Amino acid sequence: MSTPTETSSREASRLEPGSFRDPESRVFYAEGGVYRTLSQQGLEDFELLAASKLFERFTAAGRLVATQLLDKSGDLPEGLVKASAGVLRHERIPFVSYAYEWPFSMLKDAALLQLDLTLAALEEDMILKDSTPYNVQFKGSAPVFVDIGSFERYREGEPWVGYRQFCMLYLYPLLLQAVKEVSYHPFLRGAIDGIEPAQMRGLMSGRDRLRKGHYLHVFLHAKLEQRHGDRGKEVKAEVKQAGFKKELIVANVRRLRKLVERLEWNPPQDAWVEYGECNSYTSDDARHKDELLHEVCVSQPWELTWDLGANNGRYSRIAARGSRSVIAVDADQGPTELLYRKLRQEGDEQILTLTMNLADPSPGLGWRGLERKALPERGSPDLVLALALIHHLSIAANVPVKEFVDWLASLDTSLVIEFPTREDPMVEKLVAPKREGLPPDYERESFERVLARAFDVERRERLESGTRLLYFARPKGTGSPIDLTAPEG
Amino acid sequence: MDLLAYLDPGSGSMILQILAGGLAAVAVVAKLYWGRLLAFLRIRKPED
Repeated sequence: MSTPTETSSREASRLEPGSFRDPESRVFYAEGGVYRTLSQQGLEDFELLAASKLFERFTAAGRLVATQLLDKSGDLPEGLVKASAGVLRHERIPFVSYAYEWPFSMLKDAALLQLDLTLAALEEDMILKDSTPYNVQFKGSAPVFVDIGSFERYREGEPWVGYRQFCMLYLYPLLLQAVKEVSYHPFLRGAIDGIEPAQMRGLMSGRDRLRKGHYLHVFLHAKLEQRHGDRGKEVKAEVKQAGFKKELIVANVRRLRKLVERLEWNPPQDAWVEYGECNSYTSDDARHKDELLHEVCVSQPWELTWDLGANNGRYSRIAARGSRSVIAVDADQGPTELLYRKLRQEGDEQILTLTMNLADPSPGLGWRGLERKALPERGSPDLVLALALIHHLSIAANVPVKEFVDWLASLDTSLVIEFPTREDPMVEKLVAPKREGLPPDYERESFERVLARAFDVERRERLESGTRLLYFARPKGTGSPIDLTAPEG
Repeated sequence: MDLLAYLDPGSGSMILQILAGGLAAVAVVAKLYWGRLLAFLRIRKPED
């Protein structure tokens, strides 16, 4: 399992700490590139894959990460050649993301890619040794399978080792969302191996047995696991003796594909409404905001823009005009789902949609907390958009304004931030149910003081409705700050 | 031939895969349960 991306290229070659589960291949970052070292067995499996039709076909379609086998006698980054039979170089994915951050359709598309690759591999007498969404990454809205080390020769008589994992990390989470309308994100974030068959059965009702595929993959699966859990050795022998064959896997994968393809989840109605035209802007405000954003976004080439509180992606799209890649983060799955669908339809490869609550962001997970990384460890932004966001964090999540601004400053990034004043209708709406009223630090003058201390603020503009201010700022010591105590320009 | 996978396929999951094989699986299922019957009647050792 591995994730071909990297965050910096300062060291000669660094092991990806999340890539230790498969002993036949490990991922390294070196000199700005992503490398994979292979054992002798791993090299043989890769040569089989490289000679296959599927390798060419899926790579050409961008569904398999572009990969080349390097000449070991050639000029390779230090530390990669020793003790490995072969070295691969992978195309770099701009930003790593995880299944517990994907809206429904992203996980579904990743599942379909996993199944398509499994079918194509079986056709050429290969198979994938695992089935985890952590082997899929997204280039914008395009899913790319990145774990080249997952392909191996199919051994006659053996079952599909990755089937149980497919259920736990793809099928059950999708069923949970589609059938039970329960978000799978906390489940996947809570357990790196996903939802167990017995757990899933507990989450379903008796009536769900009648739904297509549910009895087999959930109820019977849990029952058999309970009955045979400790009989690994005997079962293995029994299955082989009974004449298990590849055709059984093919039949199962085809059925799973049909089942997954039919699954659907639609966001609740209010998400659609909000998605159409978010919040309380007058058209003058919206135009002014668009213009300022456009000017900032195309003023220089940006590498990575984070649009925090992205909603319908309006500003992510503006950011994409001047940024190599953009991540559009929203706490609500509804708008990220709708934005992803739209981007996928357009074939976008720049904007990555993520569902994440910034007041409770993805932590480091897995062994030593290093297998999955927290957001800032996957690549720092050079531009952050925090539009219509600070009042949600301050009022709804009680995050102190200074804490939030200091966190943004710790990312060492330029910033466009919007501050709705105490009179703004959205602020009034958020504060209405709270007994204490507005937090005392939610106040324009103190916000500006905190902002000017953490950043070099270069621009400040008031939107036409009068209750919203926009600021453009650069990291401290890199810009030419204006005087915020002077009247607005 | 042994399973060399680094992942545990799960005993229940292996049996399920036979049952999920549809038409292709009929003969295999029959053989699986025939083997179990023979083992039950002590005609064949279960781990042969």
